[in-house]
Amino acid sequence: MTSALQEMSDGGLVVAIARYREDALAEAYRRHAGAVFALARRVLADLTTAEEVVQEVFLRLWTQPDKFDPDRGSLRSYLLAQTHGRSVDLLRSDTSRRRREEREARQTAEAGYDLEHEVWDLTVADRVKEVVAVLPVAERRAIELAYFGGHTYREVAVLLGEPEGTVKSRIRSGLQRMRSALKTSDLSDPGDVAWN
Amino acid sequence: MELTHLEIEQLLGVYALDAVSPEESDLVEVHLRDCPRCRAEVAEHREVAASLAHVGSSAPPGVWSRIAGSLEEAPPKLDLARVMSLRSRPARRGIPLRMAAAAAAMAAAVIAVLGVQVSHLDGRTDKLAAALQENGLDRAVQAALFDESARRVDLRSDDGVTFAQAVVRDNGDSYLVRDSLPKLADDKTYQLWGIVADRAVSLGVLGSDPDVSAFKMAGGGVTALALTTERAGGVPAPTMTPLARGLLPIV
Repeated sequence: MTSALQEMSDGGLVVAIARYREDALAEAYRRHAGAVFALARRVLADLTTAEEVVQEVFLRLWTQPDKFDPDRGSLRSYLLAQTHGRSVDLLRSDTSRRRREEREARQTAEAGYDLEHEVWDLTVADRVKEVVAVLPVAERRAIELAYFGGHTYREVAVLLGEPEGTVKSRIRSGLQRMRSALKTSDLSDPGDVAWN
Repeated sequence: MELTHLEIEQLLGVYALDAVSPEESDLVEVHLRDCPRCRAEVAEHREVAASLAHVGSSAPPGVWSRIAGSLEEAPPKLDLARVMSLRSRPARRGIPLRMAAAAAAMAAAVIAVLGVQVSHLDGRTDKLAAALQENGLDRAVQAALFDESARRVDLRSDDGVTFAQAVVRDNGDSYLVRDSLPKLADDKTYQLWGIVADRAVSLGVLGSDPDVSAFKMAGGGVTALALTTERAGGVPAPTMTPLARGLLPIV
């Protein structure tokens, strides 16, 4: 790995990937694969499938680098959006969902597994945790079920016993609230912390 | 089913978290194509979601070696037809220049190694080399695409749509390649301008439906390119606001 690549911006890396530079893909992997894997594992609750998603996401970056548009956000958020979309697709297939539900039930029974605690205390980086803390509980819960639980907003509404419109509004306002807090906290580019 | 702008806006948060039905997702995506404001909101939501996903952990060992192994077994598809058919509208439309450039650069690399690594030739590279030799089409454009020192600039609308991409070689030979440039009526033409200080200098009258256009960038001082629609035949000075523009990278 050249130091030039390590210092290159994410946008520069994607251009190099488009030129078939395997070392550029390796650098993108070094920077972002940890977060990609963690998100896939969180949503899918399955190590093997999460690894397959990681592989799929980075191979897609290799074969279709032009899908990344730097004007629409960072490489990190692009990769994580790909990861989330793919994970949710898999989760919503019957087999995966059944496997996950069985695993969660078993973990809860065996070890007092607390999904909410797990998600919000262990997966969220310390700096971001402060931002999450600005959310009212109802917004936080709705976002958690949708993002980490992979539920549609209609499912979230049923789970929380709330009207669908309320859930939609809570998720949107929660995301906007966190965005403001991230800007205030100067955490608007959390991607750089993942490089270390 | 059609949704109002307000109804779409209310879906943006849940859409960004993949928490909508496939039908709703389709409706939002159609809306996003023409609504930069909603696109920006979705991008912001996704940045926030990305910050939630951060854990600072490493990918599991073994996954990278599987990825690297896949690259060797199945290199990215070289869609030679796309590289070679720059004048062929159906094949060219919507394909970003950088991908054409990437494929072209790969082709150049393959050609470069042919002489020293004959034993590594396989059916794929044989085919590639043969196609490159047989196809004289757009050799000049390909040479520009191969040229690592050439400057590349996207000509974009104010809301971020890339209409065309230009490649400018050191010797001034330059080419404009269509991306999503729509066809004009026959009594209209696209006209390309170089911006020198505050003046617009005509670089070419491109016609109503251009795929690839050559132009010469003589002399220095051009800091940006702009594209206008004008009456057929062109005009000495722009009469319309540019529909797309792009800054030329400084050498």
